[in-house]
Amino acid sequence: MVKGTSRVELQAAKTEAAGRAPVVAATPLPYDEMRDAAGKVRPHYAALAERIDTLSSDELAERQKTLERFFLLQGITFTVYGAESSTERIIPTDLLPRIIAAEEWKTIDAGLTQRLRALNMFLADIYSGQQILMDGVVPRDLVLNAPSYRREMQNLYVPHQAYANVCGSDLIRQPDGKFAVLEDNLRVPSGVSYMLANREASKRVFPGTFRGAGVRPIDRYPDLLLTTLKSMAADWRPNPQVVVLTPGVYNSAYFEHAYLARLMGVPLVEGRDLVVHDNMVYMRTTTGLRRIDIIYRRVDDDFIDPLTFRRDSGLGSAGLFNAYRAGNVVICNAPGTGVADDKAVYAYVPEIIRYYLGEDAILPNIETFLCREPAQLSHVLANLDKFVVKAVGASGGYGMLVGPHSTKAQQDEFAAALTADPENYIAQPTIQLSTGPCLIEHEIDSRHVDLRPFILCGEKIVVTPGALTRVALRKGSLVVNSSQGGGSKDTWVLTDKKDLQP
Amino acid sequence: MMLARVADSLYWIGRYVERAEHLCRLSDVMLTATLDRTESATQIARIALAAVGDTDNAAKARNPYEAALALVLDREDPGSVASSLARARENARQVRDQITTETWERLNLIHLRMSDPNDGRAFADGSQAFLHDTIADLHLFKGAADATMSHGEGWRFLLLGVYLERAQLIGALLEVCFGDRRHRAITDHSALTSLLRMSCALEPYLRVYTADMQPRFILEFLLLDEDFPRSVRFCTARIEEHLTSISRHVEATGVSGPDRLAGRLRARLQYAEIGEVQAGGASAFLGAVLDECAAVHRQVYDTFVAYTLEQRLPA
Repeated sequence: MVKGTSRVELQAAKTEAAGRAPVVAATPLPYDEMRDAAGKVRPHYAALAERIDTLSSDELAERQKTLERFFLLQGITFTVYGAESSTERIIPTDLLPRIIAAEEWKTIDAGLTQRLRALNMFLADIYSGQQILMDGVVPRDLVLNAPSYRREMQNLYVPHQAYANVCGSDLIRQPDGKFAVLEDNLRVPSGVSYMLANREASKRVFPGTFRGAGVRPIDRYPDLLLTTLKSMAADWRPNPQVVVLTPGVYNSAYFEHAYLARLMGVPLVEGRDLVVHDNMVYMRTTTGLRRIDIIYRRVDDDFIDPLTFRRDSGLGSAGLFNAYRAGNVVICNAPGTGVADDKAVYAYVPEIIRYYLGEDAILPNIETFLCREPAQLSHVLANLDKFVVKAVGASGGYGMLVGPHSTKAQQDEFAAALTADPENYIAQPTIQLSTGPCLIEHEIDSRHVDLRPFILCGEKIVVTPGALTRVALRKGSLVVNSSQGGGSKDTWVLTDKKDLQP
Repeated sequence: MMLARVADSLYWIGRYVERAEHLCRLSDVMLTATLDRTESATQIARIALAAVGDTDNAAKARNPYEAALALVLDREDPGSVASSLARARENARQVRDQITTETWERLNLIHLRMSDPNDGRAFADGSQAFLHDTIADLHLFKGAADATMSHGEGWRFLLLGVYLERAQLIGALLEVCFGDRRHRAITDHSALTSLLRMSCALEPYLRVYTADMQPRFILEFLLLDEDFPRSVRFCTARIEEHLTSISRHVEATGVSGPDRLAGRLRARLQYAEIGEVQAGGASAFLGAVLDECAAVHRQVYDTFVAYTLEQRLPA
């Protein structure tokens, strides 16, 4: 194993970064996915651009309606609870696919594989010998004090050292055209059903263009997921029983849980269907109790077992974690994976990759300043109007300061909070996400997009050649979360021309 | 083998869908009768309302349109068509992974139309077209289930719900028309025709008994006919068939399973004779049938869904 840079060197590197000239000078123009700087359509978008030009805005609107009807009919909706009645809405979905050239995808594929391999090695390490902490590559207290670190996982056998079996990383394309990782989601990443449903829909909406483009298929995701899950079973259980554990029908991602269970052909269970007896997990069936081997859980760590984690949880099953420790059931993703996608640990991922694999990270991180380091803190404090400041433990856009869009009062408030509790904050420069064409109010216009590919890891790592592209539907907005006016669109990863069948 | 909770949901989808279809048909017949302005319109409305359990119905029966509107679209009433379909669809959503996309789409579509804010206007514009379409869509749902779902355990639970509900609904309708509490036998020709329409039985009846409308024949047909899918006998034969198949895999637990009750119920109808039934009073016979249907329902729960864990834990 190649050892990484020593703590002192690392410290020096960070400080040097902090001392560099202004991080956010004149904001560069965002990268346009469809057109290059001269306004010419990029080659991989040519067919789509041509097709769009032949369609009138009425025809486009008609196709958008077809698309929305498809989603409504399939029941791909989320429920909005109002004062008097509840209504169901579809997730806003954009008609025009986002296209990624074959060459670019190769880099993404290699980068994601490398990253997940290193993160799983990191998890295996910190939940056993903690070599990386001894070597001082990642600060000990940063890992061990993280709220998502689970002492209960210490020295627990995880097959293939695959702690995170399903990973959905958020990538963004920077103004220079390079992809970078904004966030790793190793807990219970969602959105894969939208990736699959968007593809079904776009096949109906642009059949000709789709056929001509040579889009790589993604419909093997469910069976690859099942293979991955089954590879986690013990050898002496030749025909393992896999289930998907959902919090229930009121969860906003319920459609996805049911969708995956149906496409994998495995039962979709809720906590109330499970019974733990003598460290074995069973489900209640019409013919009695049936033993379960693998649980693909879509319930957060905190809620899976009221005896081990949150006592007020009704979503999991009492005794589940002990059955896991006893080796009678496998929980996927493993509890405690969240420590590797912690916002502060994120800053060390390039070091983690170098430490375990002896390689440079193929996909770079976004430059991140850790307020726990005094030099970096002072730099952040001096430039609060330019940074995005995030609380380490928070998510979903809470506890966040977007510098350029904030008032002086907000900045002062954050400055006080940062000084009082620097360990709890990180800062990143405000990133201009790339933009892609979208159909907005019958007209084609540019909106900011990100990219969430899905990576599976069991016996081996597989990256699905497709992704969920999230769109910030409000003009100029950089927030793609569906809770804050975001939508999604299909993502076409093109086949390499060399591999194409004549 | 399937999850107990899932079996429960499928069973209730069947029951709710059947209930909704029956209510639509009762409402449709009730509204058709008012068009003819016959004397019997009120009588028919009273029969329909009594058959859904509304016994104090004299006032409502004078305004069949309002009564039908409430029966179909009143969301406050848990027994209305809209409520039944909403529950069927909610159950389907909970077992979305167990039913085929084709089946789900049918049910989802009906629900979307029922919950459309303009449904009141659609009903006012053409209530019969609205009801006709709803019934046709429910047939499509059953057809899709039959044509696309595997005819395994899940499908059998769905149909078990359908037939158990149907046996109870037709039984209740017959009790209203032929039971002891009716002081005057129904003799009016259009009332008898309407009764057959309420159970979708007019055309099949005509083929067997010709246009000779006799209360005795109607009771015989709806209760004891072997082949008509809405006769109580036919329903009980299906209930037994599905329960026998479902029970095959249950480990013997010492208690007598619901298939025994279903078999006895089927035999009761299979070997009944209309003269004997009438001699003993239709109410006594129908009462026994309805009680046994309820007992089958309880036994299904005790055996497949809400069993006690102690009996099933591995030793």
